[in-house]
Amino acid sequence: MSKNINVALIGNPNTGKTSVFNQLTGLNQKVGNYPGITVEKKEGICKLPRGVKAHILDLPGTYSLNTTSLDESLVVELLLNKNDKDYPDVAVVISDVENLKRNLFLFTQIKDLKIPTILVINMADRMSRKGISLDVAAMEEKLDTKIALVSTRKRQGIDRLKELIADYKNISSAPNLDAKRISPEYFERLQRTFPNEDLYKLWLVITQDVNFMPIEKKRIQDATDFTTKSKEELKKLQHKETVLRYQFINNTLKETYKVDFLAAKGLRGSLDKLLTHKVFGYLIFFVILLTIFQAIFDWSSYPMDFIDEQFAMASEWVKNTLPPGIFTDLLAEGIIAGIGGIVIFIPQIAFLFLFISLLEESGYMSRVVFLMDRLMRPFGLSGKSIVPLISGTACAIPAVMATRTIENWKERLITILVTPFTTCSARLPVYLILIALVIPKGTFLGLSYQALTLMLLYLIGFGMAIFSAMVLNKILKIKSRSLFMVEMPTYRLPLFKNVAYTVLEKTKSFVFGAGKIILAISIVLWFLGSNGYSDDFKNAEHIVSERIEKDGLSTYSKNYIQNNVASYREAALADGMSATVLQDSITVLTEELKERAIAQEISSYKLEHSYIGQAGKAFEPFVKPLGYDWKIGIAVLTSFAAREVFVGTLATIYSVGSDEEETIKNRMAAELDDEGRPLFNLASGISLMLFYAFAMQCMSTLAIVKRETNSWKWPLFQLGFMSVFAYIVALIAYQLLI
Amino acid sequence: MVQQLLAYGTLILAVAFLLWKYLLPKSFGKKKDKGCGQDNCGCN
Repeated sequence: MSKNINVALIGNPNTGKTSVFNQLTGLNQKVGNYPGITVEKKEGICKLPRGVKAHILDLPGTYSLNTTSLDESLVVELLLNKNDKDYPDVAVVISDVENLKRNLFLFTQIKDLKIPTILVINMADRMSRKGISLDVAAMEEKLDTKIALVSTRKRQGIDRLKELIADYKNISSAPNLDAKRISPEYFERLQRTFPNEDLYKLWLVITQDVNFMPIEKKRIQDATDFTTKSKEELKKLQHKETVLRYQFINNTLKETYKVDFLAAKGLRGSLDKLLTHKVFGYLIFFVILLTIFQAIFDWSSYPMDFIDEQFAMASEWVKNTLPPGIFTDLLAEGIIAGIGGIVIFIPQIAFLFLFISLLEESGYMSRVVFLMDRLMRPFGLSGKSIVPLISGTACAIPAVMATRTIENWKERLITILVTPFTTCSARLPVYLILIALVIPKGTFLGLSYQALTLMLLYLIGFGMAIFSAMVLNKILKIKSRSLFMVEMPTYRLPLFKNVAYTVLEKTKSFVFGAGKIILAISIVLWFLGSNGYSDDFKNAEHIVSERIEKDGLSTYSKNYIQNNVASYREAALADGMSATVLQDSITVLTEELKERAIAQEISSYKLEHSYIGQAGKAFEPFVKPLGYDWKIGIAVLTSFAAREVFVGTLATIYSVGSDEEETIKNRMAAELDDEGRPLFNLASGISLMLFYAFAMQCMSTLAIVKRETNSWKWPLFQLGFMSVFAYIVALIAYQLLI
Repeated sequence: MVQQLLAYGTLILAVAFLLWKYLLPKSFGKKKDKGCGQDNCGCN
């Protein structure tokens, strides 16, 4: 008969907890992973021997049950609360074979909660290389548990772990340390007052800031026959507990664990020295960043062009195949164009997360965190602020939530407020399309201008975050600072499975999360762009035909015809077409192109007088000084919901009424301003990119900031400050460059 | 007629989704905000 059990995976950060979780659950998981840190719990299902089915919970990494941050409190609260639906039947503590001493501290604490606890010693494949020898049987006896030696890299030991979990009823739940040893007199009194409660749990409720449902702290404090101790006295007892635990661990390891320390040093030490060096460390990081941005542009250009063409063809196919009508037009010009505007960026997003994931998996990211800490301190940020700031390059939402690890409220608030300046993946599509349009394709020292521009934008975002932190630090008058502690994990070859999961999850999240919003906005925009109330809209055909009859075609249409004819002539001559045939076919082609140009001019006129055109025109005076026309203005407005909507909006606006099979980039490149110059030129392009670099255009981030700060004051401050600042910078940039 | 029905039906769905996503209070059948990874926040 099958049985469902709850299993909690617990461990210090960087012990390979996520890898064990991945191997246990495979694809049966709901992953909520954040770059660099696990903030929320992850869940998955694992089938075990003898028909047992396990619900596996991957809890946030924690060094001990003495909590210092919100996410660590999550672990303690779950382990103390038997009424929680996720309360584990068995706890699996993941440790790293090279850091057993520190990892066992957490193990003994969990064991003392009287939960059956299995010890996983991970990265066992390194034992021989590092000169480590382990007497597993003796250690099992000393720790009163069962041990699984696991190597997630070599996929070893997972079956044994599954066996142990399935057999959890035979795992001892006896504590390692008798809590009364901490203070016999105090714990005797505590036991007498609460005879039915577990002593070590009571001790945690007294000393930790957690909400434990069955026994509330207040109940202990209010107990008439029990007087608790002062904070200082409790701290002393906590120190005693720590000493007792390490005595127990040292005794255990002395008899069961041997390590040749000379073998453990060597390459790692040298690499650390180099990668965290005051000069070379930054230089290496800079080169790695350059390589990443170069790759994002070069490698992904082929799949991107392919996707762009496919969507243009799909739109054309829908128009030619389905019966003509409003829905066919909506499908071809609104839905397909809108989706195309987001799908095209899959290759770049995938490459970005591939590199971020490789850096994290290899252990290099922790060195970067350490390295950047030196830079950040003078600006008043905590070392722990770096994790949210780096995570912010993916998405500001988990990054803002990752600030929960920062204990000091003011430092946390500053980090929350400045994190949205870092370049999130939603800005990437905007930057990519604008860079491709306005930055020339040349190279400098073998690096393309386009890649350098992208990197510069990332640095501007990061620089602005630091600068704002410095200003806020002065305004908010931070007095205290939290300690910075970062674990330097051993270097390791990234696990393909983990990297693949990250890339897949992030790309999926980008496409499906943003895709739904973009699709909905594209549909609404298409309707607003295809309908209008004015006479100009209703009589567009007549008005434009009269104008063409009187003044001829517009400059844009003339150029369009000339360019197409010239390309046709060149191709025909290369094919050896005779002069007479060529002349005839050019006459036919010119007529066809003229018809298309007239249709295009009518569409443009209609769009200009549609609902969206009217709205855009009303908004135009605000964006004109920045070098934008009303179409860009509409895209800027709609992207206040989410930045990435910008490209989808422009794709939809430029597609309304168009019969051309054209790519988004070509359409944008063909746009001209009032004076006949390309609308997307260097000045307007840089202005737009800077606007997007600084503006707060993400409703979801605002919502999460509200949740994390528990006030509307801070998100509104963020929105106001960032938008005004972005406008001013974009204005200055355009006026200087034009 | 069918084309119009489909087109305006799509429009209503799109507007309803955007209202639900951004304007309606959280209690209105919405899931709790979680990280981008699983229950997408919609920010990226």
